[in-house]
Amino acid sequence: MVADIAAPAIGRDLPKPVILVAIPLGLALLGLLLRFAVYMQVGWEPKPYMFADGICRWDCEWYVNIATSGYDPFPVPGNIDAGNWAFFPLYPAIIGALHKLSMLPVMVIATTVSILFSGLAALVAWPLLEKNLKAYTLYCAFLLCGPVSIYFTTFYTEVLFVLLSNCLFLGLKRTNYLAAGASAAFLSATRIVGVFGAIAIVVQFITDRLQAGDKWRTLPLTALKTPEFVLAVFIAPLGLFAYMLYLHLYIGDALAFSHVQRAWGRVNGNPAFYLWQALTNMPTEGFWPSISQQLGLAALAALGLSFVLVWRRQYSAAVFCLICVILPMAAGMASMLRFVTAMSPLVLTLMLFLARWQILFVVALLGFIAADYYFTFGWLKGYLTLV
Amino acid sequence: MAVAIASELGVTWLALHPAVGPDYRAYYIDMSTTCLNKPVSGTYALGDQLSFLPRGHGAALKVRVCGWDGPAGDGTHSVGTTSRLRFTVPPATGDLILTLEMSAVGGPDHPAEQRVEVSANNVSVGGVTIPADGLQTTHFDIPAAAIDKATGHIDIVLSYPNAVQMFPGDSNTHWRSIKLRWARLRPAGTVEPQPKTPEDETDIREGTAA
Repeated sequence: MVADIAAPAIGRDLPKPVILVAIPLGLALLGLLLRFAVYMQVGWEPKPYMFADGICRWDCEWYVNIATSGYDPFPVPGNIDAGNWAFFPLYPAIIGALHKLSMLPVMVIATTVSILFSGLAALVAWPLLEKNLKAYTLYCAFLLCGPVSIYFTTFYTEVLFVLLSNCLFLGLKRTNYLAAGASAAFLSATRIVGVFGAIAIVVQFITDRLQAGDKWRTLPLTALKTPEFVLAVFIAPLGLFAYMLYLHLYIGDALAFSHVQRAWGRVNGNPAFYLWQALTNMPTEGFWPSISQQLGLAALAALGLSFVLVWRRQYSAAVFCLICVILPMAAGMASMLRFVTAMSPLVLTLMLFLARWQILFVVALLGFIAADYYFTFGWLKGYLTLV
Repeated sequence: MAVAIASELGVTWLALHPAVGPDYRAYYIDMSTTCLNKPVSGTYALGDQLSFLPRGHGAALKVRVCGWDGPAGDGTHSVGTTSRLRFTVPPATGDLILTLEMSAVGGPDHPAEQRVEVSANNVSVGGVTIPADGLQTTHFDIPAAAIDKATGHIDIVLSYPNAVQMFPGDSNTHWRSIKLRWARLRPAGTVEPQPKTPEDETDIREGTAA
């Protein structure tokens, strides 16, 4: 019955674009109501007008600071070691600009824009979801009314990262290297791992040429004779380089975003060691996995889904996801759930799988909606797996 | 495309040649220190007892530079392999005596004691060995020559050669060694006042001896 409500039957008389907009809109409203209900139950200061601020926790506060006050000078105000240079600029800049233009509160703007970007991310993903309406519905629910919708509906860069990742892979699917390169350029200004969009472009080019019958030895020459590909590769990291130039001019260190990690006590090490350490960190009591184990399982799921992408011959997406998961793992498992759920190709693959059977689709959809309630509860209670 | 390549090469060159000061470079880039020097005023009245416990630690914030965490119930904890305090005194001040009450981290897997080496403006003034979970009050003689005559600053650096890694994979910026409970800097030749207890710290907050 739920499937009939959510799936194509109701929309047989409606134009497809209307359906594609109505689904995320409806789920966005439902998710907003659910999270608002939780906030009014367990928020720190549960007043309706404080909802947007009340949901903003952990790194969200850093982004608010950047959007309102810009990047820290050195010495950092407040005499702390951790400057906000680790947080990439594109999304805070967008929100900050809208804040200055509209004079509306930052978190109201950020919440609105995040929900809008989530909806756009879903729309862009429609071809990537093989135009499967059940998978599309699940994807909308995951972004807007699901267990980790907090990441995509408050002030976190993950929502822009997902939107731009979808643009990148849609461009590659359509062999539009310039569009992919432009998306990657913005991606590289959104999060540090976004720069690896350039590698995704290269891998897709190789895949495309090999499928067209080219040989490996002729690939370099073919690449040089494909100017749009070469240009795409060189513009892909422009976002990162622009931020580096800004940091050099502002505080004298173009790599401040990396160097400042020292203030958080992050030590680079072997990702496999950190993963093993997390998975073997047993809970002190009970059977429920420890927080470290939960993060480790999230990483394992990401690695598993990456290999599914390889099996499906989506090599560029697989390489991109593997790098974007393994590289952060080299500094430990902190925030691993957030990183994994922002890896759009993995989530899209999962949605396609869940949509294959009617019963699984219904269970997943209801599960996502219920989880939005309970995970928001955990978020507001400071459950560390979600940080 | 040429513009993109040239820009990226240029920025790469800039990344390899940071234009930063020695404090920034030592902490973030070279990682030669775990204590990031900061422009702390060091405002302090000679002879005052500074509390590093939760009650009355307001005055202590003016001398805490880096390498500290807290305060917690048992004091302000050192973090990293060095910590720094800064006291600003009249430049014509003579010899001084620094008194520190410290305890050391303890635990089944931790060293039986913590060694603390103290220097004042890069002049070594001695050290102390504190047994694990033990509490110790130590006096250090600060020669007048160690005071920066231009600014009146005395940077007290506490080094911890056997600081403890609390969790596997912890950066050395998070290692632990001692917990500082109170500190006093007084002119040499004056009598050490009776240390105030935590219950007296309403006076301490004002930085005024009772």
